[in-house]
Amino acid sequence: MSRTSRNFIIAYTLLVGLPILGLVGILKSGRALAAPISVDGVWKLQTDPVRLAALPCGKTLASSPDAALAISQSGRNFTLSLKDGPKSAASGALDGTSLKASLVPSAPWSEEAGCGSGREISLVATVDPKANPRSLEGTLSVSTCLSCTPVDFRAVRVATPVKKGSH
Amino acid sequence: MPDLFKLVLQISVILALCRIVGTIFRKIGQPRVVGEMFAGILLGPSLLGWMAPGISAYLFPASSLGFLNALSQIGVVVFMFLVGLGINPQELKEHGHAAVLTSHVSITAPFVLAAFLALYLYPKLSDDSVAFTSFALFMGAAMSITAFPVLARILAERDLLGSRLGTVAIACAAVDDVTGWCILAYIVVLIRTAHSSTSIWVTIGGIVAFALIMIYGVSHLLRHFETVYRERGHLSENLLALMLLLVLVSALCTEWLGIHLLFGSFLMGAIMPKEQRFVRYVLDRFETITVTLLLPLFFAFTGLRTDIGLVKGQEMWMYCGLIILVATVGKLGGSMVASWLSGMPVREAAGLGTLMNTRGLMELVILNIGLDIKVISPALFSMMVLMALFTTFMTTPVLALVCPDRFLREAPNKVPTQDTAIGALASPDKISA
Repeated sequence: MSRTSRNFIIAYTLLVGLPILGLVGILKSGRALAAPISVDGVWKLQTDPVRLAALPCGKTLASSPDAALAISQSGRNFTLSLKDGPKSAASGALDGTSLKASLVPSAPWSEEAGCGSGREISLVATVDPKANPRSLEGTLSVSTCLSCTPVDFRAVRVATPVKKGSH
Repeated sequence: MPDLFKLVLQISVILALCRIVGTIFRKIGQPRVVGEMFAGILLGPSLLGWMAPGISAYLFPASSLGFLNALSQIGVVVFMFLVGLGINPQELKEHGHAAVLTSHVSITAPFVLAAFLALYLYPKLSDDSVAFTSFALFMGAAMSITAFPVLARILAERDLLGSRLGTVAIACAAVDDVTGWCILAYIVVLIRTAHSSTSIWVTIGGIVAFALIMIYGVSHLLRHFETVYRERGHLSENLLALMLLLVLVSALCTEWLGIHLLFGSFLMGAIMPKEQRFVRYVLDRFETITVTLLLPLFFAFTGLRTDIGLVKGQEMWMYCGLIILVATVGKLGGSMVASWLSGMPVREAAGLGTLMNTRGLMELVILNIGLDIKVISPALFSMMVLMALFTTFMTTPVLALVCPDRFLREAPNKVPTQDTAIGALASPDKISA
């Protein structure tokens, strides 16, 4: 074997072989990591329409036959939009299995939905990680409305986030 | 049915903005593609959707994006065929050990560093529906890719295609892209088979069989295209249509086999004959519409999915900075060290590292696949798009800094490039993506 070839083999082993071994180690150790629970996807909303309609901003949502939440998740943070709801997305955060989000509706939608000004819709919920499909249980409330009772809701994930492979 | 008025309006706005921003970027010495990538982001929620949500909602309602995406994907399928066409495995063989070592290190260094970074980012930017292995492998593949066509364009603009730096860079970028796409194919298979009844080994067996048939069977038949071209000096419309049909059939096969349309079109390009005039002829036939019309749609579609607003707060910007740092250190540093150890002078080695660090459109293609299969989250997608923009943008000025023309003119081993496929690919005013 020539000196050049020997040097090449040594360099290749050090610069390519060793890092690949390192990669194997990284992949093995990474398996023990825990990522935030997945809430990404579309969730069908189940709630009492009468109580929902009693909330400011709730009439439009209550009148929708297939009210749903759409959640786009990035780690612990997510954006949430309500089907037939305000044309702006709420931002929220996950803490374990609890999630909180708040949304300030756009002015035109607030006017149309009879929200009044300066309203903020808040959502607090807990994910049941063992349910299949996953479900959420929590409350919807509207800030700056002391007389409004928060409305309980349940939501079931209809579109799983990982329809992996379907483009 | 698509709203034709809206679709044509969208295409017009995208084309106009891409040309304007691309021209501005050309004036500041950047490849046009960087401007077009930037224009796509301007049209998305990061700027237009943030500053004028009404106009954004009117121009790009969610219901209309499916048609825009379909058109842009056709463009990317043809583009990947052209990228494959420009790759010539013979070029690597000609550069021996140095190019093999440099190209392999330029893949493993960013790949391993990205996987290491994944240990930190996975609990912060992913969720439990994505396996760590898929996440880490995807990050590795995305960070180790090189934008072969942008690199060729930059080299052509600086008259470096025939230099030692240029030829080694081209050879390494070709190896990087082929390897990167193979790894990505594996990740897609891994993720798809996890959610299907088909065994991963059946899928991998099918893909290997398909690749072997293409390389050892179909490639011989494709030589007839070159023979006809050599005899007549042109290909008839029927033959060009047949070539396009073969690209689409190959793309459909890989999609059906469980990977992605783009692998098939890339492979079809890679096994095409590599005679320079033939390659130039085929590029001339296909690239004008692809590069000027369809790829800007892809940039716009990518921009519409990129929401820089998701990268908010000090913590998120720190993640973004880390991604850019790791991508640059891994790719630029890895390639530079390997080529320097292989005997290249340090400045030239730094120039090679800089060139290899350009990611351009190839990165966007990979990132879109990652977002489609949900292996990366929207926030991470946006960070990676910023990384692609940053690393592509920095290439030209950093190259001018570390390898001034004066230095390169004195560098040895100037070789003719007229008879290479890449010589055709990088001709002035041709593919810049």
